[in-house]
Amino acid sequence: MLQLNDITLKLDENLILDRISLNIQPGSIWGIIGPPASGKSVLVKTICGFFKPQKGNILFNGTDICKIPETKLLEIRKQIGMLFQNNALFDFMNVWENVAFPLRRSNPDIDPELLREKAWKRLKKVGLAGSEDKLCSELSGGMQKRVGIARATINKAPLNIYDEPTAGLDPVTTSKIYDLLLEIKRQNSSTVLAISSDVEGLRNFVDNIIVLHEGKIRYSGPEKGLETSTDPVVHQFVRGEEEGPL
Amino acid sequence: MMKQFLTNFFAAVGDKTISVFTAAKTLLLVTLNIFRGIFHFKNREKGEILKQAYEIGNRSFLFVSVTLSALGMVLVFQVCLQINKITGDQSQVGPEFIKGMIHAFVPILTAMMLATRVGAGIAAEIGSMKVTEQLDALRMSGVDPIDYLIVPRFIASIFMTFILGIYAALLVILAGAFMAHHSFGVNYNVFFVFDKVTWGDLIIGSTKLLAHGSAIPVVSGYCGLTTKVGSEGVGVATTRAVINSSLAVIILDFIISAIGLMTIQ
Amino acid sequence: MISSFFASIGEKFLVLSNILGGITYLFYQITVALIPPKFDLDEFWRNLYKMGVKSVPIIILTAFFTGGIMVIQASVFVKKFGATSLVGWGAGYSVFREVGPILLGLMFSGRVGSNNTAELATMVVTEQIDGLKALAIDPFRYLIVPRVLAMIIMLFLLTIIGTVVAIFGAALFGKFIAGVSYAGFWTSFSQNLHLADLIHGLIKAAIFGFIVSLNSCYFGISVKGGAVGVGKAVNNSVVASALGIVIFDYILTYNIT
Repeated sequence: MLQLNDITLKLDENLILDRISLNIQPGSIWGIIGPPASGKSVLVKTICGFFKPQKGNILFNGTDICKIPETKLLEIRKQIGMLFQNNALFDFMNVWENVAFPLRRSNPDIDPELLREKAWKRLKKVGLAGSEDKLCSELSGGMQKRVGIARATINKAPLNIYDEPTAGLDPVTTSKIYDLLLEIKRQNSSTVLAISSDVEGLRNFVDNIIVLHEGKIRYSGPEKGLETSTDPVVHQFVRGEEEGPL
Repeated sequence: MMKQFLTNFFAAVGDKTISVFTAAKTLLLVTLNIFRGIFHFKNREKGEILKQAYEIGNRSFLFVSVTLSALGMVLVFQVCLQINKITGDQSQVGPEFIKGMIHAFVPILTAMMLATRVGAGIAAEIGSMKVTEQLDALRMSGVDPIDYLIVPRFIASIFMTFILGIYAALLVILAGAFMAHHSFGVNYNVFFVFDKVTWGDLIIGSTKLLAHGSAIPVVSGYCGLTTKVGSEGVGVATTRAVINSSLAVIILDFIISAIGLMTIQ
Repeated sequence: MISSFFASIGEKFLVLSNILGGITYLFYQITVALIPPKFDLDEFWRNLYKMGVKSVPIIILTAFFTGGIMVIQASVFVKKFGATSLVGWGAGYSVFREVGPILLGLMFSGRVGSNNTAELATMVVTEQIDGLKALAIDPFRYLIVPRVLAMIIMLFLLTIIGTVVAIFGAALFGKFIAGVSYAGFWTSFSQNLHLADLIHGLIKAAIFGFIVSLNSCYFGISVKGGAVGVGKAVNNSVVASALGIVIFDYILTYNIT
């Protein structure tokens, strides 16, 4: 599904990603954790083609997305449903138009009634029935996250990327969101890549996990193997200890 | 000491040159993409151009009216004052004023006002979308932000600058006539003489309006797209949009004036 | 329909009154802070450098082409009447009294005023101003007054530089585009123009500097919302400055002739 080979990315002379290699199988759920500024968001944005790595390649269903021009990239990106860190909801559209946007763009000839119906259904699924015609700025943080999730999943894309799906939310909403993501994953049978700072919640949600630190992969593999990792950074980060290399 | 100074000096000059060239390259690329985007009809929302034209007109109608009529009155006032000192023959004020307004003052002053109003608006809007990652979200839906956001503003700006320019010319002439009549006793029928206006003046005036109208969205759109993330970013982008689009207007105006003077005037 | 129309007019009127009131109050606060004139001298020098010296290239560029545009405008007559003796005077007169101060004022507002708004607004949204207050530093004496003074002084000085450059530009382009000799330009310029014309423009420049500084500080400190708000504040500030410059140009032209 998605294969990263030896990705090295520099931005303004700063090494952001250092020889990242990954192999993500279809249908799996991967989590990315790591201390702040370890390159998590940049990694997923590189997968979407927003940054061009200086070395290495990224194969998405066999296409090397580092080598193709922007026009082709736009087509590839339609197969990725992305939830941005700060939701990135369009402020010039209301809630349901936001959710409908990716669907309308991939099916330009879709019947407007059908489009509306699908968007409303999707909003009901994430628990936002009744807010369809509101402006995004009128919603609370948790509700905006849900709109973002609805928008990221309406296309039933084969790959879903969630950047901080639970940041700034209370524990009850957090567990509800993870349940929702799991349900959507089962329905769409998609592959999932999720970034979170909330290590505990994420570990319950994913099968495999990556620990990033200063642009390097310190651990990558099944979630259960995290406990037994001998890497001091992983050890300290996962247990939340004060003493250590971090 | 001297050597150190020279090294630093050349390093600074080199740095500046490189950044100017990179900026020029990106600006050229944005411009090319805009021209290409004009023909990507499928990527555009229906009615988006009309909506943007309304936005531009709505945002600037009052602003252009107030500023241009005030400027028109001031310019007539200065001209009459000077003529009073020398010959006292006010009969030529109207026709020459009308001519000068059409081929020189109205295009540049209207465009300077629009660079401030519309240019800053475009940069603030697109810059905000950049820092909130809405541009990336557009790309994730397979949409090119230049096609989707800048091309409609580009087409709308060309139309609206032209229309606002014609409106401004009429307004300025009326305001000027009012001032000349009120403060210097110039008769309206002596003032409103359009014989001096040639086809050349009209062509130069229109060319300027079209050129300025297309430069403003290109320059300010570029400034918006290259906004740096951070709380200062959008403000800096807006600043750059105002100053760069004003400068573009002044230089374009100069070039068109010079060509016009040497060919058709 | 009709009631909503009037409601929107009323709303706009309220917004406008709010802004005008805010600017007047800011003016009052600055005056109070100036009696006795105690303000941060380091910040004042820093702003003089940042707002003045750093703007010289853009002012020179603007002035040079403005001179060119004005001489072309005057040259239309030369072609028609062969009136070479008018060019220096025509270009110089408009540069001194109107076009010079206005265009330079607008460019100054775009470069310095909007930069100032962006800076102050960023300080507000990142709560740095509250930080200053917490350290018992008066933000008016520390931030606002030095900037206002620096802007007035610097637009005045930059207009002098700009006027000189514009006249040079006019002479240069007059020679190459309209074929007016330097000597002819200079005679026409020096015989018909007086110090009063230059002073007329410089008084305007100082007042425009004051308008730009008040506007840019007001919109900077009254910002709402994060990065998006900063962009809006800059946008509003340059528009208000342009309006202020033009309206005051009208008032001043009447009153200082």
